[in-house]
Amino acid sequence: MNIQTPIIANTELNTRADQAARELGELLLHTPEYQAFLKALNAANINPAVQKISAEMRSHQDALRWSLKNTGEHEAELARLETEFETLTVIQDYRLTEEAVCRMFAEVDLIISQAAGVPFAANAKRSGCGCGG
Amino acid sequence: MLTEELQNSARTLGEALSASQSVQTYLKAQANCGADLEVVDLENRLLALYQELFGRQQRGEALQRSEIDAYNTLKSQVHQHPLILERDAALILVKQTCSNVADDLNFPLGAEFAALSQAGSV
Repeated sequence: MNIQTPIIANTELNTRADQAARELGELLLHTPEYQAFLKALNAANINPAVQKISAEMRSHQDALRWSLKNTGEHEAELARLETEFETLTVIQDYRLTEEAVCRMFAEVDLIISQAAGVPFAANAKRSGCGCGG
Repeated sequence: MLTEELQNSARTLGEALSASQSVQTYLKAQANCGADLEVVDLENRLLALYQELFGRQQRGEALQRSEIDAYNTLKSQVHQHPLILERDAALILVKQTCSNVADDLNFPLGAEFAALSQAGSV
């Protein structure tokens, strides 16, 4: 019994944290900032110009990945397409909503980290992008 | 500006994490390191040496083999200290706890909270 007590206590604590995380996730999901972000993301995903440029960028990325010569042409074209991509209104709208979400999440992370006594996001981070991939 | 509900929810999560065994163990290990003069001295020396060598390398200066060896020797001395080993091991568990909790947070969002929040931090 003495050995089991701290294990049960720890499991309860983890469950508390998991539950609190799910509740916070639900709250964040329904914020105007996150809803605007999802709407802008969806608008970008279904935009024909975004799809066209993305496909062209992928083909140059593939060419760069597999070819050893003429990489300069692909690099130049990729850079041009990236600039064109970022100047699309639908992408600029998406970037603005993304920035707002990032700022809000940073504020939330600060509160979590201060209460936890350890930096939360810095210790939880698994990958370099925000898409969970 | 975050709503009060969001602030409270974030605080509740932080407090639950703070009460977890992994965070408690890490904070204790960190305090032990901070209270040990040898550990403090070792870590300060390693940081100072790193900053010096990195700065010189950034300015285009070629480092001597003996300087790199001295850095590596000090680094392994730091990483083999029992108190630092204990803190490093505790930190791995904190990272696991935070990652697991973040999975629950990420699920409703469909995105990685940690990566987005770090992109927004100044």
